[in-house]
Amino acid sequence: MPVIRTEQLTKIFRVVRKEPGLRGSLKALVRPRFENIAAVNQVSFEIDAGEIVGYIGVNGAGKSTTIKMLTGILVPTSGSVQVLGRDPHRQRVANAREIGAVFGQRTQLWWDLPFIESLALVGRIYEVPPARYRQLLKDFEDTLGLSELLHIPIRNMSLGQKMRAELAATLIHEPRVVYLDEPTIGLDLLAKERIRDFIREQNRGRGTTVLLTTHDLGDIEQLCPRVIIIDAGRLIYDGPIATIKERFGRHREITFETSEATTAIELPRDCTRLAAEPHRLTLRFDRTRTTASQIAAAVMEQIEVLDFSLAEPDLASIVRQIYQGGLREVEGNPRS
Amino acid sequence: MRRYLSLYGVFFVQRLKILMEYRVNFLIGATSTSFLQIGGVLAMWVVMRQIPSLNGWSFDEVLLVFGLVTISESITHMFADNLWTLGWQYIRSGEFDRFLVRPIDPLFHLLADRFCHDGIGNLLVGTALVVKAMSALHIPFTVATALYLVIAVLTGGAIFIALNLLTASSAFWLVDSIPVTFLVYNTYEFAKYPLTIYGRGIRIALTWLIPYGFASFYPASYLLGRNVGALAWMGPLVAVLFMSLAYRAWKFGLAHYTSTGS
Ligand SMILES: Nc1ncnc2c1ncn2[C@@H]1O[C@H](COP(=O)(O)OP(=O)(O)OP(=O)(O)O)[C@@H](O)[C@H]1O
Ligand SMILES: [Mg+2]
Repeated sequence: MPVIRTEQLTKIFRVVRKEPGLRGSLKALVRPRFENIAAVNQVSFEIDAGEIVGYIGVNGAGKSTTIKMLTGILVPTSGSVQVLGRDPHRQRVANAREIGAVFGQRTQLWWDLPFIESLALVGRIYEVPPARYRQLLKDFEDTLGLSELLHIPIRNMSLGQKMRAELAATLIHEPRVVYLDEPTIGLDLLAKERIRDFIREQNRGRGTTVLLTTHDLGDIEQLCPRVIIIDAGRLIYDGPIATIKERFGRHREITFETSEATTAIELPRDCTRLAAEPHRLTLRFDRTRTTASQIAAAVMEQIEVLDFSLAEPDLASIVRQIYQGGLREVEGNPRS
Repeated sequence: MRRYLSLYGVFFVQRLKILMEYRVNFLIGATSTSFLQIGGVLAMWVVMRQIPSLNGWSFDEVLLVFGLVTISESITHMFADNLWTLGWQYIRSGEFDRFLVRPIDPLFHLLADRFCHDGIGNLLVGTALVVKAMSALHIPFTVATALYLVIAVLTGGAIFIALNLLTASSAFWLVDSIPVTFLVYNTYEFAKYPLTIYGRGIRIALTWLIPYGFASFYPASYLLGRNVGALAWMGPLVAVLFMSLAYRAWKFGLAHYTSTGS
């Protein structure tokens, strides 16, 4: 049985549309014009126990709104959502006991309390048995390097420290499902690594199901075998990250540095020109239709080449293509 | 219920730890409100030196009314001050989300989150005024009066909390509910004096509409042996009524909570 299941999940926000300026504000006050925003639009997916799924999309795509419906904070406008067999909004308290949520831009801890006190309070709220609490605290001290943080209030912590504290507080009641909304936002590489290691370990060691949103594709590459992509509230891809890479990875980019201007060159077959600089030529080609050496040969015949390089597309550029509407190429990808 | 009581204890202790960290703030906060109340009492004293009785009420009798409402106010002030800032501190910033992902009642969480020490000053001043008035008026302090006083003060506190909860619930739509709360809350200034000095309209309003009268005038009248009929005993009923009305408004607002976009 899936741990999370959404069916045609939809959230529509009704917002007042305001024209600019004071007049606009007054007009909105006297006769408000409402506008409906479909933040999440008929999204259906299922997530099984023990999965780590990356939930990605551009700013405003509807990621956080989805998570708020999964945690029971928001009521769906239509469609349904079930987490561990429950309706997260109607059975909010029962659901809350079994989930944890981190909203990367906020803290759920008490700003002025030393971290250990905050954590103890959270432990009491979730009724974590004292022996279990001590055990987990010890675990987290090792894996998250908490010992140096215990007596610092949240307000004095750096971003990376805060996120470690936040994760510990979110996992102290051993939730079965964890939602992480941008857990690595603003962190340096080392801090990101640490957070990723911890998430991986919780997932492997305890079988915690994780749904993670991020704009950092490193998170996805290292943690999530499966991604769900949404755009303007609609699900546009759900499947293995490998599939996307393979489909889009068919393309390669080859760049030549030349001594002469490249403007007049006749392009080899089966490729397109990307950059348009006078002494540099970047070509994109499908490796199933032509090869790098064929292209290189065709170019070198026409022009003196000083240097050239071949690039495999990284996930970032693939995702950029998808966001820009390239997904038609990977349609028809339902998970079985 | 027991779980919530012990949980409140934990919240309270943690809050004290924060307050102790800012000791100067604590002292200023805890005493500032009492200066305000003492100022009010002094002003009244000045006025009443000219007119020895206010519509048949002596200075000490008015003090009893004043003292009772001050204690009732201190209860909201200490235990429900977060209702004031629900809108701009919790809803606007999206911090309210945090209450909704936890397995406890969000209203409890909101109130328990911040015990407000500013109310302590009012509690002390109010108590001092009641004690002073009662001894000056030779009201015997028996078990029965003590019990009546406790019930009156709890009733008053509940009415204050109910009205603040009712108005604070508008924050789910208005975001900033402070003006609305302020408007209703401030009418308690009227309840610092015997309601008989006002016209019929205000008297009815302070009894049935914004029932602060039950936090001061009616119990004081009873203690002074002035006949106010059944109104001397109806406070708790009114408090329960307003509390359930306010809780409904809160629930209704909660269902309309839409969080924020970030
Ligand atoms: N409480 C709200 N009221 C009105 N509109 C909202 C609210 N929350 C979100 N929206 C709108 O819904 C859309 C989706 O927002 P959401 O926060 O879910 O996006 P997101 O994918 O999390 O974006 P980001 O990557 O920037 O965090 C946006 O257009 C946003 O303006
Ligand atoms: Mg978001």
